[in-house]
Amino acid sequence: MVRHRDEAIDAMLEPFYYQKHITEKIDTARDKWNLLPAFLKVKGLIKQHIDSFNYFLETDLKQIVKANQKVCSDVDQKFWLEYTDIRVLRPTRVDEEIQPHGGSTVTPHECRLRDMTYAAPIVVDIKYRRGSTIVKRKDIQIGRMPIMLRSRNCHLKGKNESELACMNECSVDPGGYFIVRGQEKVILVQEQLSKNRVIVESFKGVTQASVTSSTHERKSKTYVLIKKDRIFVKHNILVEDVPIVIVLKAMGIQSDQEILQLVAGADKVYQDQFLINFEEVMKDDIQTQQQALEYIGSRVKIMRRPVGQYHGRNYQQEAIEALSSIIITHVPVQGMNFRPKAIYIAYMVKRVLMAIDDPKLVDDRDYVGNKRLELAGQMLSLLFEDLFKKFNNDFKARVDKVLKKANRTNELDAYEHLKLHSNHITSGMDRAIATGSWSVKRFKMERAGISHVLSRLSYVSALGMLTRISSQFEKTRKVSGPRALQPSQFGMLCPSDTPEGEQCGLVKNLALMTHITTDDDEDPVRKIVFILGAEDISCSTGVEMYRDGAYIIFINGTPIATTMQPKRFLTGFRKFRRMGRISEFVSVYINHHQAAVHIATDEGRVCRPLIIVEKCRSRVTQRHLESMRKGMMDFDDFLSRGLVEYLDVNEENDSNIALYETNIQAHTTHLEIEPFTILGAVAGLIPFPHHNQSPRNTYQCAMGKQAIGAIGYNQQVRMDSLLYLMVYPQKPLVKTRTIELIQYDKLPAGQNASVAVMSYSGYDIEDALVLNKASCDRGFGRCQVFKKTNIPLSRNINGSLDIINAGLLDLTKEQHKKLDWDGLIMKGEKVTKGDIYALKQTPLNTTPSTLLRPEGASRTIQYKNAHPSYKLPVGAVIDQVALTSSESDITNIKILTRQTRRPELGDKFSSRHGQKGVVGLIAEQADMPFSQNGVCPDIIMNPHGFPSRMTVGKMLELIAGKSGVMTGALQYGTAFLKPRDPGVQSVVEGYGSELIKHGFHYEGKDMLTCGITGEVIPSYVFTGPIYYQKLKHMVQDKMHARATGPIALLTRQPTEGRARDGGLRLGEMERDCLIAYGASQLLRERLMLSSDQHTCDVCAECGLIGYSGWCQVCESSAGVRKMVLPYAAKLLIQELGSMNVRTSLKLVEEFPASKME
Amino acid sequence: MDYMDMDTGDNEPAINVRDSNDLNVNFILRNVDLSLANSLRRVVQSEVPTMAIDLVEIESNTSVLPDEFIAHRLGLIPLTSGNIEKVQYSRDCDCDDYCEKCSVTLSLDARCTDERSNMHLYSRDFMVSNRADLSVGNPVIRDPQGKGILIAKLRKGQEIKMKCIAKKGIAKEHAKWMPTAAVGFEYDPNNLLRHLDLWYEENAKEEWPVSENGKLEPTQEEQEVFDFDATPNRFYVNLETVGGVEADRCFQQGITVLQNKLADIISALSPELANNNPVDDYQPRSPGAGGDDYGNGTSYGGGFSTHGPGAQSSYGGQRTEYAGMTSYGGNY
Repeated sequence: MVRHRDEAIDAMLEPFYYQKHITEKIDTARDKWNLLPAFLKVKGLIKQHIDSFNYFLETDLKQIVKANQKVCSDVDQKFWLEYTDIRVLRPTRVDEEIQPHGGSTVTPHECRLRDMTYAAPIVVDIKYRRGSTIVKRKDIQIGRMPIMLRSRNCHLKGKNESELACMNECSVDPGGYFIVRGQEKVILVQEQLSKNRVIVESFKGVTQASVTSSTHERKSKTYVLIKKDRIFVKHNILVEDVPIVIVLKAMGIQSDQEILQLVAGADKVYQDQFLINFEEVMKDDIQTQQQALEYIGSRVKIMRRPVGQYHGRNYQQEAIEALSSIIITHVPVQGMNFRPKAIYIAYMVKRVLMAIDDPKLVDDRDYVGNKRLELAGQMLSLLFEDLFKKFNNDFKARVDKVLKKANRTNELDAYEHLKLHSNHITSGMDRAIATGSWSVKRFKMERAGISHVLSRLSYVSALGMLTRISSQFEKTRKVSGPRALQPSQFGMLCPSDTPEGEQCGLVKNLALMTHITTDDDEDPVRKIVFILGAEDISCSTGVEMYRDGAYIIFINGTPIATTMQPKRFLTGFRKFRRMGRISEFVSVYINHHQAAVHIATDEGRVCRPLIIVEKCRSRVTQRHLESMRKGMMDFDDFLSRGLVEYLDVNEENDSNIALYETNIQAHTTHLEIEPFTILGAVAGLIPFPHHNQSPRNTYQCAMGKQAIGAIGYNQQVRMDSLLYLMVYPQKPLVKTRTIELIQYDKLPAGQNASVAVMSYSGYDIEDALVLNKASCDRGFGRCQVFKKTNIPLSRNINGSLDIINAGLLDLTKEQHKKLDWDGLIMKGEKVTKGDIYALKQTPLNTTPSTLLRPEGASRTIQYKNAHPSYKLPVGAVIDQVALTSSESDITNIKILTRQTRRPELGDKFSSRHGQKGVVGLIAEQADMPFSQNGVCPDIIMNPHGFPSRMTVGKMLELIAGKSGVMTGALQYGTAFLKPRDPGVQSVVEGYGSELIKHGFHYEGKDMLTCGITGEVIPSYVFTGPIYYQKLKHMVQDKMHARATGPIALLTRQPTEGRARDGGLRLGEMERDCLIAYGASQLLRERLMLSSDQHTCDVCAECGLIGYSGWCQVCESSAGVRKMVLPYAAKLLIQELGSMNVRTSLKLVEEFPASKME
Repeated sequence: MDYMDMDTGDNEPAINVRDSNDLNVNFILRNVDLSLANSLRRVVQSEVPTMAIDLVEIESNTSVLPDEFIAHRLGLIPLTSGNIEKVQYSRDCDCDDYCEKCSVTLSLDARCTDERSNMHLYSRDFMVSNRADLSVGNPVIRDPQGKGILIAKLRKGQEIKMKCIAKKGIAKEHAKWMPTAAVGFEYDPNNLLRHLDLWYEENAKEEWPVSENGKLEPTQEEQEVFDFDATPNRFYVNLETVGGVEADRCFQQGITVLQNKLADIISALSPELANNNPVDDYQPRSPGAGGDDYGNGTSYGGGFSTHGPGAQSSYGGQRTEYAGMTSYGGNY
């Protein structure tokens, strides 16, 4: 399906063949990486989001409805309603008729402009009982679902470049986000500890095995822990920890022998460790299942029961309920058969015993294989299920209410009531995505910051956001473990791309080839397990399970079978997977420490494709690559033919993966497709990252997202509240494969500046840059800044509307000169501070009451002027004026202003190696140094930037770029790139010899002449092109000063911040300096006179504040004096007074009479 | 052009033109001080006046590019500025805004009506009018197709209609008035003066390619003894213009500008002349618009039409005229 919209990608594929002819020989060792573009062609960069959402629409949604299929009434037992199907249609406008098959013309861009939600109707088919007949209805809308862009229901799906252009959509834009109320929202990938898996932990000497069970109905955590050598089961539902033997007995394993075998097998060490547990139970004299249930039942927390029902407790019943459906819920109990669950708990005990015996067997919580990534689809399914249940409850309550009435005039038609509630689901989904706070009452889940506004600062920043993973747990934990780089994230998560500071290491990014799995059905896998000769675990005894050489087979953490030939089982299972009999995302691996074969089919595992190696030879051969080049094979064919397969973290760590074909050895199982794919999309922009100090790459990852450049092909028609665009962006001279793959060269953010690394003028210290004025004149670093102003014509409480009154237009007024006849400012007009945007008026009376209006008064509404105006100190040009109407039918006037800015002193620039700097000087071209050829640098960079930063990659970029300029070709600086010629040690040698050919020094150094004196600069200067990014931090947006200005209402101190024209604070430390120096009068001036000086009357008698020369307390004016104090102090006194704290001021003569003598 | 070899050992400044065409002139400047040679380079780059579009009156712009974007592009289009002296600086002109004496009007009027393909708007599409001299203010077109520079692309229905006013100016104000592209400048290519510390990794000879000019001078091996007192006096200059002015003419104009600047200094410093132009009411004026006796080439001998002896005599002339008055020329 994806294939035919790949004109762009096809063109992109070409340079990957090193400009080779089709007939040229293919070298598998070098060209195998061609699989990568093929992978991205099929999967796309952010495919995980779209896959997850598609899975939600196709499968999850239907399962949710199936689980909540029937609604019955408590009042009338005969009434029922059943959902037979649910579908999500394609996006429509709210007011459009639902056409199940026809299309709507709504586009995502329209939603962005009109502040609408890009959503599609959710329709259900129902069957219900009306009176005595059963009615079937189809296509009933129960709400609207926000639709992820480029998902299966999106209008953009399968469109080619020109069709997308017609829809004002960018073909490079990856999709994967939602548009809610006009805002682009991304649901970030959430990282969590895996569900339904036993994790053995050990802290503060307590060793415990825990499992978070999660099913659609319930989420709970169960612990098996060891306290004073005794083992207990801990769960929220239990008032106290229950001894393990009692739990197992309650589950029907009454024989101590059996318990011991299930828990410890035949192993004497474990048996000895466990024995003490039996003693404990003996004391309590619990032998039978009944006794055990009684014991547990008395310790189950009381659940709230509906009022009016029987309040007595049946302990046994409660214990059975708790054990079967609350403790370890994900292991189902069918027909009172507790055995699978007992085996599960026994297995947990075994793990605890093993961990005590050998502390190495404690699990690592930070291991990526123990984590699961939650994507948009899963988040939405949680939300939808909650909303759907609430919807059904509301519906039921309404139906009950009607049915309660004794004499109804007409038959109850459930359909009428069903339609009424559709708003709940719609607004619930909207609100969650718009605010980012997920609250699911069933799971007591209250999470904020799930969704974020998609950053459109540059193309990479948007892309970076879509691959971002945020860690849900342990944000406050002071330990470094979760933040550290994990060896197991190799190839899955980018090692460079993480923010600095607070979030460091907790926010991660996906690597280039990572895929996140969706849920696969367990049943076919289970069948295959038994086909492969494994024995059912419920038929085996503990001794059989744990005997030497026996391996337990787990599916998603639950033991289901045993085998004596794990290796054979493994290869057999893999064969089935490579044949396509099982989904390619099912993983299988052996854990020899646990003597277990784990099979995982669950969702949220990270995985990546690798080439299969068999008999020491790569399965991908020349022939395959050739047919891929000819377009006869795509990545899916590689998968289905068993040439390439996906490995998740656990399976990856059970494999022997060769980095290059030459490294293949006898035991090698897989071959890496391309080493640079361990980096993510953002880190992939860096040329020669493997030559840089690692933190520099991390810094660049943060800065690449702030670079000004092109945003998308639709940037001209967008109306973002803030948009930065570069006037002449250039594609980098030194690019990487990743740059081509993510199409950064189509939407670049930066320019190739010719840089001289030398000291010049002293205005370049501390990383400052010297810019060539002529270069700036010619457009270097020039950018446009678009700002949006909204003028909503809102509806007041009394129903009156704001208006644009064009009738006020008076062209003789200077203020109205820039307005058009419609009362709005004209496009293309230059605006300065104070210029009016629109002749807006608001009604004088907005109070809801109409009673106040005197009888006979005219019904015309009185208006007052509320003209919005341009606020910024620096002028701008009106770029666009748009009138939009949102879904709630409110007219919104959007005015886009544009500024074109050239670089100025203090603007921030950065290369791609974490080397940022501000402009320190803009020098005349005549003053700049130049080479014999007259070539003059655009930027002079201080060489002190290099020694401590060790950004060798930047130097290599310069040399590569210089040779590229000379040969007229773009050069590659891909990470871990190997030279094509095996005789050459590094790629740089090639660039050096190329430079020599063109009469330059091989190290990129040039002889420069000083522009001021004309003398030769005594040393050679490293000169050449480096790609520079202009960052969004510009002086114009930051510079601020004030003499006098607004003050805050409460404290009467100057306001804070540039936006409020605030004062510049003399802070605590500055104050300390002045105190230390003894500049008392300066302090007095700064802290009081220039801030919140206030004069008030103080009564010297009582020390309280009086008023206009009168003391209310003393009821006299005798002792009242004028006093100057900070208003904040006066406020404090009064606030204390309001809390019944008396603050009295003691007044002393400033120049006491005694001393005057 | 044929020049005799002036390398006869005398100390007169001389210029040896090695190669010349209308875009490029390559010459050796000899027997001048480094400071003078560099001053000439600087002046040629930043103070030789040319024409460039400075004002854009936009009547209609429905293209995808914003107004100031196009205006910036228009400004950078090189215009022919051969007879630039026939155009006045706008600020020196009598007119209020601009007139044909101080400006050239280039108008652009394009509308795309083609359904299938976009219209490309080139610099050849300018209508040039209102000018003092026909050779001034034409867009420079050098590509074989004769299209000039691409200004913008228009889609069906889009229109650009604007009046561009080109004015005279110098590159100090904005690089669009820069007459030159790259100005190559080199002396002592073999580092006989040791101005450069010749850094090398293993072998300087292998690592540092010898420049073309280096072949004309003795190598370090050939140099007998290092001369501590030696000063640079052969300058290999390669001057390339963007096409607005012929390369040799550009250099000559540079000499004129420099002369005028120096003359201004002299007049400001000499007491009797200073009276004519009191410092108190000194007002900024355009370079070259000397006003006094130091107008264009009056007291400096004839015009500067040749590279040869004529130019030299003007240097000599200065020396005699102002000898002793200022330090200028004293250490010459």
